[in-house]
Amino acid sequence: MHSASSALRALTAVCLLLGLWEGIAFGQAEKGREQSAATDATTSAEANGVINVQQEDLIKKPVADNWLSYNGDYSGARYSSLTQITPGNVGRMSAQWVFHPREVGPLEVTPVVVAGIMFVTSANDAYALDAKTGKVLWHHVRAVTPGLIDDPGQHHNRGVAILGTRLYMETDNAHLLCLDARSGHLLWDVAYATGNKNYGATSAPLIVKDKVVVGISGGDDGVRGFLAAFDTETGKEEWRFWTIPGPGEKGNESWPGDTYLHGGGSTWMPGTYDPDLNLLYWGTGNPAPDYDGSMRPGEDLYTSCLLALDPDTGTLKWYFQYSPHDLYDYDGVQTPVLVNASLKGRARQLIISANRNGFLYILDRTNGKFLFGKPFVENQNWAKGLDENGRPISAGLIPDEKGVRVCPANGGATNWYSPSYNPSTHMFYFRSFEACALVKAEEEPFVEGHTYYGSGIETADETGKGYINAFDVDTLDFSWRDLQIGANKGWGGVMSTATGLVAFGDDAQNFVVADGRTGKPLWHFQLGQLVHASPMSYAVDGRQYFAVAAGSDIFSFALP
Amino acid sequence: MAHRTALSLLFATLLVFGFVLRDGHAQGSEARQGVQLFMGYCAGCHGADGRGGDKAPSLFSAASPLNPSDAELFRIVRDGTQRGMPAFAQIGDANIRAVVQLLRTIERGSVSKSATAQAAVTGNADLGRALYFGKAQCSQCHVMEGKGGFIASSLTDYGRNRAVDEILKAITNPDNPLVPSSQVVTVTTRTGQELTGVLRNEDNFNLEVQSEDGRYHFLVRTDLKRVQYTQHSLMPRDFATRLSPKELNDIVSFLIVSSRNPRPENVGSR
Repeated sequence: MHSASSALRALTAVCLLLGLWEGIAFGQAEKGREQSAATDATTSAEANGVINVQQEDLIKKPVADNWLSYNGDYSGARYSSLTQITPGNVGRMSAQWVFHPREVGPLEVTPVVVAGIMFVTSANDAYALDAKTGKVLWHHVRAVTPGLIDDPGQHHNRGVAILGTRLYMETDNAHLLCLDARSGHLLWDVAYATGNKNYGATSAPLIVKDKVVVGISGGDDGVRGFLAAFDTETGKEEWRFWTIPGPGEKGNESWPGDTYLHGGGSTWMPGTYDPDLNLLYWGTGNPAPDYDGSMRPGEDLYTSCLLALDPDTGTLKWYFQYSPHDLYDYDGVQTPVLVNASLKGRARQLIISANRNGFLYILDRTNGKFLFGKPFVENQNWAKGLDENGRPISAGLIPDEKGVRVCPANGGATNWYSPSYNPSTHMFYFRSFEACALVKAEEEPFVEGHTYYGSGIETADETGKGYINAFDVDTLDFSWRDLQIGANKGWGGVMSTATGLVAFGDDAQNFVVADGRTGKPLWHFQLGQLVHASPMSYAVDGRQYFAVAAGSDIFSFALP
Repeated sequence: MAHRTALSLLFATLLVFGFVLRDGHAQGSEARQGVQLFMGYCAGCHGADGRGGDKAPSLFSAASPLNPSDAELFRIVRDGTQRGMPAFAQIGDANIRAVVQLLRTIERGSVSKSATAQAAVTGNADLGRALYFGKAQCSQCHVMEGKGGFIASSLTDYGRNRAVDEILKAITNPDNPLVPSSQVVTVTTRTGQELTGVLRNEDNFNLEVQSEDGRYHFLVRTDLKRVQYTQHSLMPRDFATRLSPKELNDIVSFLIVSSRNPRPENVGSR
């Protein structure tokens, strides 16, 4: 009888020869190409097909072959250093493959790529794919959770985080899963938001040193927001920062009685991290109830804020509140992009963020000090401007039963779809949207299992005008604004590359690559479904790809 | 080829669902009709054994779609679901009823199997655990409750709804049936290089092979001189002699008892 142990022995023997075998195979592949993907190849994994992400890989900037986290790297710049695809040749780019996951719906995932393996999520399912062919290597199945409401009830999921050989993801009902990234097998499962069944999660976790940091959704549904960090090895909770202060804590004056338990301030997008300053930056969502501020007097800390936390302890170092006492669902979760640039002649460590409230902010990321602000939509009436500290000067629009017309609309002048910063051209790219809405407010009680908006929205004059914007950090002004024509309101994020390209999903179901200097579209592909996600770029065997989720599918593109 | 695949799938299903046919209460011909319908219309997505496939979930899990009433189940099969299951009105009400009937029969069988399994656990699960992580070396390849290897399937939920003899057979007579994504292949390139690993996926153009060190190898068929399909997984085939009947029984008991730990959600893996 041919025993399995002999097969095992043969396998082991062959494994020893494998390094050589791979070296030959891939060496040939590289030689066969005229131009390698990255001139300064910074492939972080030592070999193709091996999943083993180290801390130094996560810290490395800028992004090259691998795309190791939601935003690519800790800066949130969503910028790729790959140079194979250029303004000159992008016109020849074509679709390479399409992947259709089991749990469909508007995918909001950004793929993560490690050594030629792509990791994507669709609802609670996770997949490892061959990044060259889109074929499934493994599939972790987990049914969607019945009975959830609002955003988590739509089972959105924005992707995974990877450290070592392990993969981390959030589930719709706010569990943190740790899978073996080589097999997709579950290693542990921590339910991290309990006590209010309106909690959920839609984001991607962020690895910071030996911890995995997760946020929650449900800020429109009366949860108490928090950010929590877990040991990447054991899943043990290391710290938890509540975004709504409890009794006796600073800021609790906005939250009489037990309203702090339902104050919102959710943490529904991944943050960014500065390893040198050892600061974790994370945006918080709107207060709850969204439109009725009568029961939450004052600033409503720490809602619609940017928080800077010590990632080792979860201690708050500073905060900046974009929209104090937010009455219009403006949130503050838009990616805080870490930028090192000269501002008004002085080299600075900055954060640039375009906020849902219609203002672009530049802050000093060492201390949270406001340095610059500018409105970026034509339709903005809720604030008369920003004062010298960046605080909005209220125009006094208080929603009531009849409703008040507010611009931007609740969907935001921008939203969670990604911005991007190109460090060589100093351009900050982001999508904006022009719209106003009739905002109504009415007192309502918190009821578990129901949303908690405190009344709602009537679209007053939805103009439907979307723009891709290029903000020049050198001139502190917009370089170009490109009107998006199409039947849909676009929800596609933006990325940029070292050859000056910007890539995004437009308002007509196209995936577009444009010239970042002018905004002129250079190439487009009709996806047949709208992009509700942010794109990324990666390389395998010296070949550069763009990938984006659209509708129910993941698409990958490359030069012939 | 397609014909042979269909036959082998049917055969595998008859094995899995065999108790339905053996069971006198299942009224042979009706059940056989149900199985054929299941293979024709359901197995493509829900898997040949109904325990879930790439496109649809298991029908026999904790969050089972079988929870609805017969009428509701009938409606689901006839009209499909918003979550992507297509409608099967075209196969006719009588056939839909036969499928519902089959699912109910299997469900009852699973319950009774489960009860049988619980009653039949005669080994020492603690000793089984020690063997699993020790002498028997199961954990080198199989993860169990978060501990163990990655190259073989997860066994965390494996023992749920499986009977003792079924598990015993899987240990002592593996590869029967052989799960396609666990088959070991040896490929030889045109330049004579050899690689052995587990065939995670393949089509007419590419092969995705994972070697025991965890590395994935992305192979183009035209670069290969030969692909040797071993018809085996990595699972050793000598456990019947390597372990005593008592040791095997202890491991089976461990797998069943462990899988009874309450789990929050319907979790599985391909």
